[in-house]
Amino acid sequence: MSNQWIQYGIYFVAFLLIQGLIINNIALSIYVYPMVYVIAIMMLPFETNVLLAMGIALIMGFGLDILSDTFGLHTSASLFLAYIRPFILKVLQPRDGYENNKLPTVHDMGYTWFLAYAFVCLILHHTWFFAFEIFRFDLIGLLVLKVIFSSLASFILIFIFQFLFYKPSK
Amino acid sequence: MRNLFKFLKRFRNFLIFMVLQIFVLGLFFNSKNYHKASFVNSTNAISSWFLQKRYNITRHFDLEKNNVILANENAELLGKLPMSYYALQQQLFQINDSVYEQQYQFIAATVINFSNHKLNNFATINKGSLAGVEKDMGVIVSDGIIGFVIDVSKHYAIIRTLLSERINIIVEVNDIMGSLDWNGRDNKVGKVKGITSSAQIVVGDTVYTKGSNGHFPIGIPVGVVSEAKIENGAATLSINIDFTVNFSALGHVYIIKNIFKMEKDKLEHKYYE
Repeated sequence: MSNQWIQYGIYFVAFLLIQGLIINNIALSIYVYPMVYVIAIMMLPFETNVLLAMGIALIMGFGLDILSDTFGLHTSASLFLAYIRPFILKVLQPRDGYENNKLPTVHDMGYTWFLAYAFVCLILHHTWFFAFEIFRFDLIGLLVLKVIFSSLASFILIFIFQFLFYKPSK
Repeated sequence: MRNLFKFLKRFRNFLIFMVLQIFVLGLFFNSKNYHKASFVNSTNAISSWFLQKRYNITRHFDLEKNNVILANENAELLGKLPMSYYALQQQLFQINDSVYEQQYQFIAATVINFSNHKLNNFATINKGSLAGVEKDMGVIVSDGIIGFVIDVSKHYAIIRTLLSERINIIVEVNDIMGSLDWNGRDNKVGKVKGITSSAQIVVGDTVYTKGSNGHFPIGIPVGVVSEAKIENGAATLSINIDFTVNFSALGHVYIIKNIFKMEKDKLEHKYYE
């Protein structure tokens, strides 16, 4: 149990730095802003307390806000995801519930479940983020395009990260 | 009873969530104010340490390109020195120059962090109040203007770039005044607003700074007109410009210190408010 959290801590810092120092500086297009740090909130164990998840989201978001001058936008979006995650997990729950020693990774839960889970998380998070960034009704087309393309980019990176950082739980 | 506790537990989480959101979004919307940065920004010690470390690694990547830019700039400046002029009248260069008084000083700095894909884009530079950087100073590169300083710490400063909503820098095209704007989509294309449709503006005209609010000297290039058309029934021209600065690669910049700015502000303060 404690081992799992030490590993989580190291990954947390790694994801924060990968996002803040590398990915933030690869601007492919105005529509594509991948946010892979969301993986740190997505991969919390199933039974994680919402308050703990929100605490973790707060630190992650704050770290990114000071690295990318977004003044609270990342914090707001990741808090939202941390708060809404138990509801997503409930909707996607398999018939016989979640096993306690497993993680929401592609290895433990299978491709179909992971695809649904990742896309719901990413689209909700990205929509919140870009909606508050743009915050104008006349730019709603821009918002939709940004959400679609950025979610796709984030998904591809998070899918690759599944194989780089995680392996099946015993 | 059990259901009541369950309900309260869920309600507690929601309350905490709402309080945190209101605080965080409050910070964010506050930062949208013109000329203002929230205290959560990259000039603080921890994040600037990381950004500086990254810069130390990546700065060698485009050294060659930067050298060419600096060499070109040096050549241009050398051409303006008195020694590169042939003196037609010998005594012209011997008298003390009392015609010109220096108005602008330049502080060289390097961009260590920037974005160009958001609706409001900022850059962090590695010079701060110790080097004499102050709020509201303009920032340029050899090609044109970048933006102005909105917040300063000891060793770092934050610039609001031209790629921002409501940047409102006064510019001029063919001696006609307008204000600069950005469409939020393309980091190469800007807009000039407020020029009446009777004005003679053609594609290829260069847009310069007006120097009216003291951030920038007069006549620094901003962009080149790429499209100028009259929209149906509008009293003003819709002008698109190509920025002269390449916002996808910011390197060495100059911060402009206007020595006369205090004097100008003090004088204007009496009448404009």
